[in-house]
Amino acid sequence: MSDQGSMPPPPPPPPPSGGGGYGAPPPGGGYGPPPPGGGYGAPQGAPPPNHLVWAILTTLFCCLPFGIVSIVFAAQVNSKWAAGDVAGAHESSQKARRWAMVSAIVGIVVIGLYLVVVLIGGLASNSTA
Amino acid sequence: MSLLQHLPASRLRPRRREVLPTAAVTAAAAGAATVLATVDPNQAGHYPGCPFLLVSGLYCPGCGSLRAVHDLMHADIADALARNPLAVVAVPFLLCALGAAWARALGRRPPSTTSVPAPVLWGVLVVVLAFGVLRNVPGWSWLSPA
Repeated sequence: MSDQGSMPPPPPPPPPSGGGGYGAPPPGGGYGPPPPGGGYGAPQGAPPPNHLVWAILTTLFCCLPFGIVSIVFAAQVNSKWAAGDVAGAHESSQKARRWAMVSAIVGIVVIGLYLVVVLIGGLASNSTA
Repeated sequence: MSLLQHLPASRLRPRRREVLPTAAVTAAAAGAATVLATVDPNQAGHYPGCPFLLVSGLYCPGCGSLRAVHDLMHADIADALARNPLAVVAVPFLLCALGAAWARALGRRPPSTTSVPAPVLWGVLVVVLAFGVLRNVPGWSWLSPA
């Protein structure tokens, strides 16, 4: 037992020639991008436009309640996108766009009709005066 | 920026298709602002009155916005706030949106309004609706356009 201390230490193991031990990390490990369409949070990629600017423009400068419908759909786009509902967000984006256009077109038509009525009324009052 | 790597390279190049519409919107806004600055909406007969006001007798959230823009073009912020405070608040936002549209058309990637937290937009909706109601309530005449 006492002569074990005098024994020479065993030679160190030979260095690995390849593949074993502290080699390169496995491919694809570590910090890759998160999987697309994860369980929660906003999805990857470009979000659909919510057309909020046109909604506010038509609400404040077209004087029509359709702009408010457009604001509702704009907010829906953000809610659905944040919840990971890609298809729903795109659907609401289309609706927001449609209602902003309806609001703008109806606004132009109503103002045009109104101008015609005012002009005809002005002509009529001029002719009777 | 791992997000940029996932986007196709074409998203970072200028979008020529968006330049013309953005220029048209800019020209229309500048033209409307110039007309409103020179043709005074405070004088009756310069512009047709609001059909909604004519039919219902109520002030909608947009009432007074023409006069507010006229006052803003003459740097009269107090009068503009008296006509339509919400329109005055909206103007800087709309200018920022126009700047973002130009940035997008020229190939940059400005923050999207879809990245705004959704509760903020629902808050905008509540503010617009409450504004439209309260400016018709007698005790809230500071919101009315008259």
